[in-house]
Amino acid sequence: MRASILIVHPDRKTQRTIQRILGVTGHSIEVADDFEQGTRMLANLAPSLVVVDGSAIGDAAAFFAYAHARGAEACMTLLGAAASEALPRILEATAITNLLVHPMPVLGEELVITAQKLLRGELFGVEKYLLWGTTLETHTLTHASQRADLTSMLGEHLKARGQSARVASMARLVADELISNAVHNAPVNADGEHYRRDTPRDIELALDGRHEVRLRWGCDARYVAIEVTDHFGSLDRATILHALAKSEVRESGGGAGMGISLAYRSCDHLVFNLAPGRTTEIIALVDIRYPPSERMSASSYNVFVEKP
Amino acid sequence: MTAAVETKGRLQITHAADHLVLVGSIDETAAVLDLLASARDRRLVLDLAGVAFINSLGVRDWIRMQAAAQKAGLAVELRRVSEPLVHQLNMIIATRGDAAVTSFYAPYQCDSCGREESILIDAVAHATRLAKLEPPPVTCPECSAQMAFNDFPERYFSFLAPT
Repeated sequence: MRASILIVHPDRKTQRTIQRILGVTGHSIEVADDFEQGTRMLANLAPSLVVVDGSAIGDAAAFFAYAHARGAEACMTLLGAAASEALPRILEATAITNLLVHPMPVLGEELVITAQKLLRGELFGVEKYLLWGTTLETHTLTHASQRADLTSMLGEHLKARGQSARVASMARLVADELISNAVHNAPVNADGEHYRRDTPRDIELALDGRHEVRLRWGCDARYVAIEVTDHFGSLDRATILHALAKSEVRESGGGAGMGISLAYRSCDHLVFNLAPGRTTEIIALVDIRYPPSERMSASSYNVFVEKP
Repeated sequence: MTAAVETKGRLQITHAADHLVLVGSIDETAAVLDLLASARDRRLVLDLAGVAFINSLGVRDWIRMQAAAQKAGLAVELRRVSEPLVHQLNMIIATRGDAAVTSFYAPYQCDSCGREESILIDAVAHATRLAKLEPPPVTCPECSAQMAFNDFPERYFSFLAPT
């Protein structure tokens, strides 16, 4: 039987747009207007992927569970124009692992890359988000104190290449938060204890062997892309989804996971590639094509987990 | 008289006659809570035009500083608030404390020649207009055309709303 993707969306035009985009995967594309119809179709299908309309997310939990039981690898949620209103509800659900919020043409890029990663199981590398020929700068942090200099250099580097102070500032903030997370929160011992979590951030730490953190960045005239990798792979899906949903960050700036929350709110697309016990790679994309006045107030995210 | 200058981590603090001028990064090394000791006549006035960066650790300390100022009954005035700080004031409500923002920078773009500029806005003189989420008009310094506000007013000016 030919592998399939199931789309559940009430809008006929959107159905066709997604159908055309996902057709490039070579999978057969099945379409349902609502969860009821989608559930009936699932009885006779074993889709590799299901894609649903985010505005109906309240009804999606049972559908997702059934889709997983029928063998769907992952579920993807599209938000469309209602992004800003629906986003808090979706984040609070802490069940959506792939959320794409942008309209076309950005949706086309995000949808194809997300689908290909999920279907092929090839998760890692910022290259998947950048145009051919983009130069990536790579830095390995061997001391915690390098964070400030490297992120400052990133900001200056972007400004020197013509990016606005705002883009440079956002990129610097995101890189700083992701590196800080990799240096202090990622290291975990055999008992699952995060032994550097409470170490003051202004104390020098040697990042030897497994503690080394890799920073890569590049720009392809669409995105400034920042990738930060640690070699512990201790960040898990539940922690990420709770950090993204943190409402107390907005209210009080408090709580664990503030760095991830700030990074998410400071970029246009945040991608987590997880190999449990081995690697955590986080990619942040800052879209430089549109002025702030034309940008969505919400951001896309993906949480990909490598299969054992 | 020469103003005293001190450095805390990556933040330079200049003690002017009635205010402090902050330049650099507010992060885990900046110890912004210590700024309260420089309050005069129960007022702390900060010039923030030179703050180019603030991270989550700096935000935490900033919130503590605001809370301590409230507890001590100090009035905090923020002048010439830079765009990176405005973004944090908008993103995290607690960073605002009870502080009065008297002026701040805002992004404008010229649709005619494409120039982007961070423009200083007097929040007191334009209070009525800003309350209606109307950006003050700005003329492009390069081609003299009218510049457009380069963000959503309801998003960028949200830090001015009462908390």
